[in-house]
Amino acid sequence: MTFPSNRLRILSIVLRVILGAVFAYAAWEKLRLPWQLFAGAIGDYKILPEWAVNPLARTLPWAELAIGVLLMAGVFLRAASVACSLLLLFFFALMVRAFATGMTISCGCFGPGELISWKTLLRDGSLLALSLAVTWQAFSARSCGAKDFAHLRSV
Amino acid sequence: MKSLALALVLTLTCLAAPPEIDKGKAVGNPTARVRIEIFSDYACPACKTFHEETLPTLLKEFAATGKVQIVSREFPLNIPAHRYSREAAAYATAAAKVGKYDAVASALFHSQEAWNASGKVWETVAAVLTPEQQKKVQVLAKDPAVLSQVQADVNYGTGAGINGTPTLILSNASQRYPVSGYALNYNLLKSMINDLSK
Repeated sequence: MTFPSNRLRILSIVLRVILGAVFAYAAWEKLRLPWQLFAGAIGDYKILPEWAVNPLARTLPWAELAIGVLLMAGVFLRAASVACSLLLLFFFALMVRAFATGMTISCGCFGPGELISWKTLLRDGSLLALSLAVTWQAFSARSCGAKDFAHLRSV
Repeated sequence: MKSLALALVLTLTCLAAPPEIDKGKAVGNPTARVRIEIFSDYACPACKTFHEETLPTLLKEFAATGKVQIVSREFPLNIPAHRYSREAAAYATAAAKVGKYDAVASALFHSQEAWNASGKVWETVAAVLTPEQQKKVQVLAKDPAVLSQVQADVNYGTGAGINGTPTLILSNASQRYPVSGYALNYNLLKSMINDLSK
């Protein structure tokens, strides 16, 4: 293994862990608050029927937490990174739609209170790009789990 | 980072004491575990809808049964379309001093479109007061204490992160949550109040 590829591998691990940590943090921010507040944030987008809002508000943070933990641990990486990318693509599309139609609503990304703006779009767009890169890495290289660290120790 | 800052602000505002509760604007049990503070602007159509459609059920189901205390707070928005909102808030706060807050608030919401277009706020208020109450309210509405009470509500709401109306702050002994938008749906509110009551 050459030096640049080792650096690339370390970088990919760092980016994956950052992405996983962001997801886990977003989940924690929602789980520590009453679930009704997140239901409100989902409902404000006006895309789901009332019967779907509450179940989604109660389960989505747990899914985010699971994805975050899996990404950080490097376990089931392909499934976790695809799920992460699809979720971020979905969130980003909703935010762009809300912003483009002039809706003044909370993005609901890290709990309530943060209105959708260019900043939130830029942040979520960057996260989506990062997630797509992690997904590409997961499918183009061997699994990046604990084995990576063993490999680096042996270099 | 921004979320951390927001969390810090929310935590700090949770620690900050709210302005004194005006008994003329409060209903329900003052010692209830849950308090609901309603931040409204009398020129805001969504506030009118909340006042006329959701509030009566909240009053009946939760305030009348002593499960919560409901407190009305003023939050006149500083925008051209609501240029008479602060005047309306001053009259409503003055009316609370003579025990007529509910009647005045309901009248203001009911005739919202008319006075917001004509600027005839006082005519709307006066219609639900006796001549003696009218004299008192007109004096009180210019009283610096009343005007500063309105401003104290605005400052409190702004400090709690409120940026639109209607917004509720639901609180119990240890937590305080601003609630707005879709979360003002009665079923969600009911569920949250019940959770906070536990």
